[in-house]
Amino acid sequence: MAEIKLKNLTKRWGDFVGVDDQSLDIADKEFLVLLGPSGCGKTTTMRMIAGLEEPTGGEIWIGDRMVNDDLPKDRDVAMVFQNYGLYPHMTIFENIAYPLRVRGVDKADIPERVQKAAEQVELTQFLDRKPKALSGGQRQRVALARAIVRTPKVFLMDEPLSNLDAKLRVTMRAELKHLSRELQITTVYVTHDQIEAMTLADRVAIMKHGVIQQLGTPDDIYNDPANLFVAGFIGSPAMNLINGSVQDGMFVTTGGTRLVKVNTPDRAAAILGVRADDMQVHEQGQGDIDVTIYAFENTGESTLLTVQWGKQRVIARGDRHLRKDQGDVVGISLNSDHLYLFDPETENRIGM
Amino acid sequence: MTGKQKKQFWNLIQTTLILIAMFIMLVPIIWIFLAAFKTHVDVYQLKLFFTPTLENFATVFDDPYRLGEKLVNSTIVALVSVVIAIPIATLAAYSFSRFSMRGETMMLVIILATQFVPAVVIILPFFVMFRDIGLLDTRLGLILVNLAIVMPFAIWMIKGFIDGIPMDTEEAAMVDGSSRLQVIRNIVLPMAAPGLVTSAIFCFIIAWNEFLFALILTNKNAVTLPIGLALFKGEEGDLWNLLSAAGIIIMAPMFVLALMIRKYFVQGMTMGAVR
Amino acid sequence: MRDNTLKYLLVLPAVVVVFATAIWPLIEAARLSFTVGRLNRPGSLDQYIGWENYTWAFFEEPAFWNSVYVTALYTFLTVGLTTLLALGLAMLLAPGGKLRSAAQTLLILPFAMSPALIGVSFRFMFNPEFGLFDAFFGAVFPPLADVSWLANPNLAFAVVVMADVWGWIPFLTLVLIGGLASVPRDTVEAAQVDGASGWRVFRDVTLPQLGPVLAVVIILKSIFSLKTFDQVFMLTNGGPGTATQTLSHYIYFNGMKYGQIGYSASVAWLMVIPMIFLTYAYAKFVFRKG
Repeated sequence: MAEIKLKNLTKRWGDFVGVDDQSLDIADKEFLVLLGPSGCGKTTTMRMIAGLEEPTGGEIWIGDRMVNDDLPKDRDVAMVFQNYGLYPHMTIFENIAYPLRVRGVDKADIPERVQKAAEQVELTQFLDRKPKALSGGQRQRVALARAIVRTPKVFLMDEPLSNLDAKLRVTMRAELKHLSRELQITTVYVTHDQIEAMTLADRVAIMKHGVIQQLGTPDDIYNDPANLFVAGFIGSPAMNLINGSVQDGMFVTTGGTRLVKVNTPDRAAAILGVRADDMQVHEQGQGDIDVTIYAFENTGESTLLTVQWGKQRVIARGDRHLRKDQGDVVGISLNSDHLYLFDPETENRIGM
Repeated sequence: MTGKQKKQFWNLIQTTLILIAMFIMLVPIIWIFLAAFKTHVDVYQLKLFFTPTLENFATVFDDPYRLGEKLVNSTIVALVSVVIAIPIATLAAYSFSRFSMRGETMMLVIILATQFVPAVVIILPFFVMFRDIGLLDTRLGLILVNLAIVMPFAIWMIKGFIDGIPMDTEEAAMVDGSSRLQVIRNIVLPMAAPGLVTSAIFCFIIAWNEFLFALILTNKNAVTLPIGLALFKGEEGDLWNLLSAAGIIIMAPMFVLALMIRKYFVQGMTMGAVR
Repeated sequence: MRDNTLKYLLVLPAVVVVFATAIWPLIEAARLSFTVGRLNRPGSLDQYIGWENYTWAFFEEPAFWNSVYVTALYTFLTVGLTTLLALGLAMLLAPGGKLRSAAQTLLILPFAMSPALIGVSFRFMFNPEFGLFDAFFGAVFPPLADVSWLANPNLAFAVVVMADVWGWIPFLTLVLIGGLASVPRDTVEAAQVDGASGWRVFRDVTLPQLGPVLAVVIILKSIFSLKTFDQVFMLTNGGPGTATQTLSHYIYFNGMKYGQIGYSASVAWLMVIPMIFLTYAYAKFVFRKG
């Protein structure tokens, strides 16, 4: 059990900056998710914590020990890899037992502990098979069992669900959440999937170009995005971003439509962010503004209306019983409690 | 012709061409196999049907040919070359595959290049040196020189196999608590085992078939099988039935070995340029 | 132990062996090439004469130029013929199925054959009295019925080329089948749907994508053709006269038969030079992958 501290951590390959001078404190027993698009430095950060990648600068602390110079085996971490990293020449039992064996755990204790780990991930009937005889989901469980068979200081998980099909991913996500609450071990989890991040994390760190853009609870990140990148990355469909300006306390689109009242001093350029769920769809003339439907999509649980708004397209979510067609005109109104203004220059939030 | 008829006609032509090609490729081999079982008289006629005899095999092992000695030499030389080369090559191949080193590409290219240097260039200085230190016509001398062709080959080939082992697995083992040497022993060696066996067989075939080194370095005690073929030049020309019997003894074991590794054949021979 | 030390320790034994068995002889051969270098004359291996061996080869030895010519023609013919025939055979065998995969398996056999043995077997096949190929060619082209192939300079050269092509077709075919398999099927199917004939599909889609593999094959085969020794030695021993004397054979003959180590080392080094270019080209293809 331990907290992790990253101090001014940097990784460079020649001119390419993988992780740029980042500091991060992860509390004991916290489940922290590193979220970002590929190449944002999230996996590199985790691999440096594991000791698989050497930092160019900065310090890594696990508990009260600076581990920069420790080999992976001496850091007392367990890791689940994207492709699982199972040992193909060993049975499932031997795979799970390997961390115990190689660390010199008393031979007599090994079967019991392997059995217990296998039970926790429901693998007991496969112990004498080889990895290639198992399905993707089962392999995933073996990788998990191998991580939980010891009680390491830290769990590291590198996109552990990304190789599973969509349905299995949902099941495994719930199992993972259940297991992590049960085990209460500090966990760092890397993913590019925002749903995984939102559902699993105590806190999420969103990264881009080697820099943490925002660190906060899933609630913070969804409801209080710090900048344009976070606003655009979190939420599905992505937040609508409308170009315009603030004049006389009103947001005015580039097309000249005076859209909605905002509590900000006037400024020449601003971007208004609004989520599809924070717009109401009405019949023509009954909203704040009338727009033409560009595409109407019925997803079953709701409807999505892509509407032409001046030169831009905006997505609004409608009731699941709503039926419209391309070219129809509808009225849209905005919920002024959930509007976000961004500065197009700095891309940061403007207080409202 | 309809499309279907055209297709059938084309298939027939293809099948015929394949059969002709196979015939051409196999005839010289089959001819040797037949001749090895023919009597001295039958071999001088283009006979397809004859009474087979095993006499030729008895003759080649007997005085004055004593092919058995050459067989022992060939086996020892090829085997020891492989036993020395494979472990050394494996360690190097792992390092080349997994780490980046200063001058790594340079080293790999030089190792590749040595494979392409004409054997006749390498053998001249060795001949002079072996003459001075008394290694001419010894198995030891032949083994040392064989390393020149087997070693670079083994390094490249094994590197190819290790490149194919996913990094994930090794990293998992390191996080699980293994030192680098434990990773090599517990994870890499078992996973690379089929590749190591394949490389060993490749190297064995190469060493077994090696001709020029043995021709220049040996004359009596350390003569290998391919050089032994020269024994069967009689006063009145080649003794084809005996040559053929010796030929079978040289090639039959290699056929078996080659069939065992047929899956990796192309990758091995091109040193990973084609997979 | 830290990886930074370990990685060098792991390659050390191999580097030592490669240096001792391949690099040192190259350097030593270069040294020898500047000496008088007679095997039977003690001290002559340290008796330096500058570039004399090289100028001798260039200006005084028609036999050297003969073997250069033989090697060049031999390389040109064997590379060309083997590549073309192997490409054809690869196209025939690539689709797979019972007959074709059986044929692919059988193709391994000739390649596992020692080149020396290939030389012997072709001498057998072209024996004027009871050679099978000799009889066959005699039946198909009556003017060839009574010729003694290996006694005629041009025909002997043809036999040497045939033996080489026969011995290398299997390897090149298997490599090209591998190359064909890596041409994405959907590109071929797209061309077929677009209306290209079989020949056009091959020329416009398959061949360009096969380019790199073809280049590898041609480079590799050129290297092996330039080095050829074993078959020639067993088949014609360079004869009749010097009609089939390749460079390797010429070097062997001067060094071992006449004991002119210094001179043959200089010719050997002249032979290394084209190898350097070919290896460089080959290395580019190998490292392209990484």
